[in-house]
Amino acid sequence: MSTLDTHAGHHDEGSYLSGPPGIMAKIWQWATTVDHKKIGVMYLFAVLFMFFVGGTAALLVRYELIDPMRDVITQSVNADGDLVETTTSTGENLRDLFSGLGVAGDLTGTQIYNRAFTLHGAVMVFMFIVPSIPASLGNFFLPVMLGAKDVAFPRLNLLSWYIYLFGSAFGILSILMGGVETGWTFYTPYSTTTDADHWRVVLMVTAAFILGFSSILTGLNFVVTVHKLRAPGMGWFDMPLFIWAIYATSIIQVLATPVIGITLLLLIFERIMNIGIFDPAMGGDPVLYQHFFWFYSHPVVYVMILPAMGIISELLAIHARKHIFGYRAIAFSSLGIAGVSFLVWGHHIFTAMGELAAILFSGLTFLVAIPTAIKVFNWIATLYKGSIVLNTPMCYGLMFLFTFSIGGLTGLPLATLATDLHLHDSYYVVAHFHYVMMGGTVIAFMGGIHHWWPKMFGKMYNEPGALIGMGLVFIGFNVTFFTQFFLGTQGMPRRYANYVDEFQTLHQISTYGSWILGLGFLVHLAVFVHSLIAGEKAPANPWGGLTLEWECESPPIEHNFHHEPIVKHGPYDFETTVPPHWDPKDYPIHPDAGKAAH
Amino acid sequence: MMMPTLATAQVSGLEKLIFGPKLPASESAAWADGLFMMITWFSVFFFVVLMGLMFYFMIKYRRREGVPTEPSPHHNTLLEVFWTVVPSSSLLVMFVLGFQGYTQQLVSPSNAMELRIEGNKWNWLATYPNGAKSPEFQPLSKKETQSADGMSSSVTRGKDYPIFYLPENTAVKFRMNSQDVIHSFWIPEFRVKRDVIPNRYTTYGIQTPKLTAADTYIHQDTGQKMIGRDMWVFCAEYCGDEHSRMAATIRIVPQDYFDQKMEEWGVVGLPWEEGEKIYKSMCASCHQINGTKLVGPPWNESSDGSGQYGWGYPASLADGTTVERDPNYYRESILDPNAKIVNGYAPQMQSYQGQLDEDDINNIIAYIQTLSTVEPNPHLDAEGSESESEAGNQAEEAAGSES
Repeated sequence: MSTLDTHAGHHDEGSYLSGPPGIMAKIWQWATTVDHKKIGVMYLFAVLFMFFVGGTAALLVRYELIDPMRDVITQSVNADGDLVETTTSTGENLRDLFSGLGVAGDLTGTQIYNRAFTLHGAVMVFMFIVPSIPASLGNFFLPVMLGAKDVAFPRLNLLSWYIYLFGSAFGILSILMGGVETGWTFYTPYSTTTDADHWRVVLMVTAAFILGFSSILTGLNFVVTVHKLRAPGMGWFDMPLFIWAIYATSIIQVLATPVIGITLLLLIFERIMNIGIFDPAMGGDPVLYQHFFWFYSHPVVYVMILPAMGIISELLAIHARKHIFGYRAIAFSSLGIAGVSFLVWGHHIFTAMGELAAILFSGLTFLVAIPTAIKVFNWIATLYKGSIVLNTPMCYGLMFLFTFSIGGLTGLPLATLATDLHLHDSYYVVAHFHYVMMGGTVIAFMGGIHHWWPKMFGKMYNEPGALIGMGLVFIGFNVTFFTQFFLGTQGMPRRYANYVDEFQTLHQISTYGSWILGLGFLVHLAVFVHSLIAGEKAPANPWGGLTLEWECESPPIEHNFHHEPIVKHGPYDFETTVPPHWDPKDYPIHPDAGKAAH
Repeated sequence: MMMPTLATAQVSGLEKLIFGPKLPASESAAWADGLFMMITWFSVFFFVVLMGLMFYFMIKYRRREGVPTEPSPHHNTLLEVFWTVVPSSSLLVMFVLGFQGYTQQLVSPSNAMELRIEGNKWNWLATYPNGAKSPEFQPLSKKETQSADGMSSSVTRGKDYPIFYLPENTAVKFRMNSQDVIHSFWIPEFRVKRDVIPNRYTTYGIQTPKLTAADTYIHQDTGQKMIGRDMWVFCAEYCGDEHSRMAATIRIVPQDYFDQKMEEWGVVGLPWEEGEKIYKSMCASCHQINGTKLVGPPWNESSDGSGQYGWGYPASLADGTTVERDPNYYRESILDPNAKIVNGYAPQMQSYQGQLDEDDINNIIAYIQTLSTVEPNPHLDAEGSESESEAGNQAEEAAGSES
């Protein structure tokens, strides 16, 4: 994939990061920009901030669980010989922490814990992980990888960003007013009856409702961009797999998000106007809400993981200098996952539904495992006879294969009805979805950020520092969450502020792991800040990539390309093509290259 | 395929590591564990193969400067068909076995003993076929420690949980519903749970195990070692503030001991004794009688010195007014809890209209009066029941120290 006449002339356009002089002028320029790269960067910092907020809440949750809550009743004889009995409570770690800060109010230990895990879930799902990869890296790289100047509807893109900010503001307001304690799933009738005199639950639900529109508009924009703005010479099967993944994601977002919008609206109607839809006291059906909710929220699991799979396809191929194995199988499995994802929502409700429905949903759920397994096999096969370099992005890519495989395989007993009856709503489920969401999406996102960081900001980062962060994240993540599989199988229910004695050791190990994990992310934060301030200037194509973003300068110019690029080679022809900006002397090509392919 | 059964009780070390030291309590639970282990070994096999290849490739094909990538095919139809078909057929096996185990775990024979389970925030209540309800409770992990000088002793404990007795080697069917929000009745040792939903019954059946000489528990009051087996029940569906304290104990006991308990519990006691039973099963998760403040005000003197909450003392309300705590106040607080909110508490309680009848309300009020330090229940002495009721003793002592 090389461009015509890339290097001649037209150097009058500056980097997209260079703006007008003056701080106010710069802020105004960023606030009103329709440049997909600037919007992508703003999303990147916003979702990383939300990751920080949600991560802090997670550390609080783990801190509470380091020991169980108990009453200590002490009887002693005082100076007058009277028996004095005093009762104190231990193990209410969050209440002690917040009382020390003076913000605990009248809340009990369990009430604070319930707010902390709801905050963690709601922020991580609605404000971090759903927009994370598509809105930040997707926004930045989808048009560039297609060879376009921008997304199809640049102003709509800016609108999505402001809707995201507006929705997040509602969520933050709800937290500042005292927090929500319904869990991020807002199950009825609990969510419609709790906190009756306050507006916090309504505000948080409204936040999720508004954030949905941001997803829909971004998804719509990407679908049109993929259809209409591919560079000349780029057919559907010449697209990088990251684009395929984002395309499949966008379709799910456009189709599924309206359902959650309607559901949350019904919830608000019920709370404000007392229309009985879900509350049995008013003639509603409480389980109906779960069906509506998961009809959206299960496909959204794939909104979270598909872009991550796209990143992994890029990372493994580029850093192994190897053509991706089974390109079409990976591309079609993305679409397959998107399609099947709409048919499996019932597996979240196995313990609340009729037998026949449970059996049907169990069968359908197994279907989703097949395209996922195919992808993993293809990725491993891609490494065969590669030229593998173990830098930070590649290490994250390989870490993904490790953690995501555990996440996928531990899903099997949850799809199997006989074993799910025990594991449902236990810590096993918590461990499983953290292996998929964090071990999958977050790990791939970290790999993607390190992979594209030089392109986005034109600066290299400190490689040893990033590798140390990566190592800590790997160790911390596994210590935190692998123990939780055992907690679940031994009978620990999720969303518990308190527990029986036999679970304490495992909970403590998990909490220590969370500290290692937190430390790993702090190291990464330091590496990023250092890179922005004092990083070396990045070359245009540091890894030897063949997709179109590596033809641009680092950072790209305002309109991405000096000339419209024309695609002349596939995105993964590493064995036969010297990458753009590279000297053929530095990129040896095997004499038999091109013969064995296909 | 080898499916371990309860009869063989051949539990591997790995299984103990995964499921903890407690053995599965029924055939179907053991069967589910066997299926879990089968899936685990299948997963371990695939994981080891995949990661083995990955690490092998990482080392074998690490980048060497100046050495080009060796060409290799970009796809291989035969290989791709192979790795699609093999996992798919394995998944089909899991699906069918899972379906089979699911029916075993939920269905109970038609002559099963039916136990009615009611969930409310945040208690489990079980009603036996003869209408009896369990009056027995035990605290979570009680530990006593004595100070070195012997001058003080302390007890570390969690909340009280109800104990539901079940006879050994019997088919039991739970018929469950909820009084408020969705709960889930999980007995980890039977490897099964089902949601407990308002306005609808859900059911499942278990077969209680035969007891062996090794099955013993320590009785919560006498401290005696008895034949039987205690197992936890947890609420598995998030239901609010005290979700994590919504637990119970299922106690499997010999049939004759169970029959004896049924006879004993079938007898109606004195009003405050009945009131205490209701208190423990329905009120204790929010209202304490040891002076601790929970979601609701305690029913006696507060241990933190913030004043008296008991019978006969004035209640200062959130709206600034003050009312006397008398039978009418208690009756209204049970039926219309939000009418008068004690200062410093949130309007959280739901009405017990329809759940408690007139007798129940009278019994609770009688019980609250026995806790009072100003006007203890005058009938206590007359009936001569103080030796039976622990709460009565407390009230007596308190009254004695007042005078």
